Amino acid sequence: MRYVKWFVIIAFWVLVAGFLHYTLPQHDVARITDTYEKRIDPGENALFWANASTGENVNLTGRDVFFIQTRLNNDKVMVYRNEDTGWGWPPYFKFDTSNLQAEAADLRSTAAAPQWVVIKHYGWRNEFLSVYPNVVSIRPVDGPDVRIIPWLNIVLLTLLVAVSWAIWVRWRRFREARIDPVLEDVGDNLDEAGGRIRGLFRRKG
Amino acid sequence: MLALLRLLLIGFAVLTVIYAAISLWSRRVRRRRLEREWDEAQGPGSRERFVADGLRHYDRSLRRKLILGVYILPLCLIALITYLTNFH
Repeated sequence: MRYVKWFVIIAFWVLVAGFLHYTLPQHDVARITDTYEKRIDPGENALFWANASTGENVNLTGRDVFFIQTRLNNDKVMVYRNEDTGWGWPPYFKFDTSNLQAEAADLRSTAAAPQWVVIKHYGWRNEFLSVYPNVVSIRPVDGPDVRIIPWLNIVLLTLLVAVSWAIWVRWRRFREARIDPVLEDVGDNLDEAGGRIRGLFRRKG
Repeated sequence: MLALLRLLLIGFAVLTVIYAAISLWSRRVRRRRLEREWDEAQGPGSRERFVADGLRHYDRSLRRKLILGVYILPLCLIALITYLTNFH
């Protein structure tokens, strides 16, 4: 039973951490090597593709998706998708996909004459599932070692912890004051086996 | 536009739950404070009357209307994020 309990607790926190890691914005410093467009038919991996209805027909399953190829400042390659999130989840309210693609194409550079950019994105890259992170914005920077402070994430996570803590404390106080005594009463009644149910109703105020 | 409608409807439903919870909670906090105030001073008038008057005053107060910010704040946030993501 103890293992089950720990399994549930660990699964819960892994889910929360995974959800936040996928949804919150992250920054990569990279050099854009190419931009292209490819037809995508989301299948099992549909969860990891946006399905925002931003004016297009949403009944078709296949569509063309913009991609941005880069080389990161740690010398690995990374491919991003560039999709509208629209009014859906995650709430970036991104509608400027085509403009962003134009900016990305403009910032292309070669290894010989590199133009470094900071790419703000959310999501994961997974080769087995054909999943790509989604670019939110691109801005040019001077060099590959810029220091990025994730203010938004700091603020959001602090707020999240504060709100969860506030709700949790109030819930515990409520439980201790209202639910625990009633449960104890129920236990007492069962112990006495007399069914003194009236005790439940007598507790007022 | 259907997606926007869905967002607004779901948002409205969720925010209404939050609004109701905060309203009830805030009123209860105020009631408790009034009751404690009366208990300490043992007056004026009867306890029920004192609390009822205090709550009527609270119902008209700005503090209670501020809870409407539960609806307004997320709308402003959506507008701000939309602006920053697409037009900034």
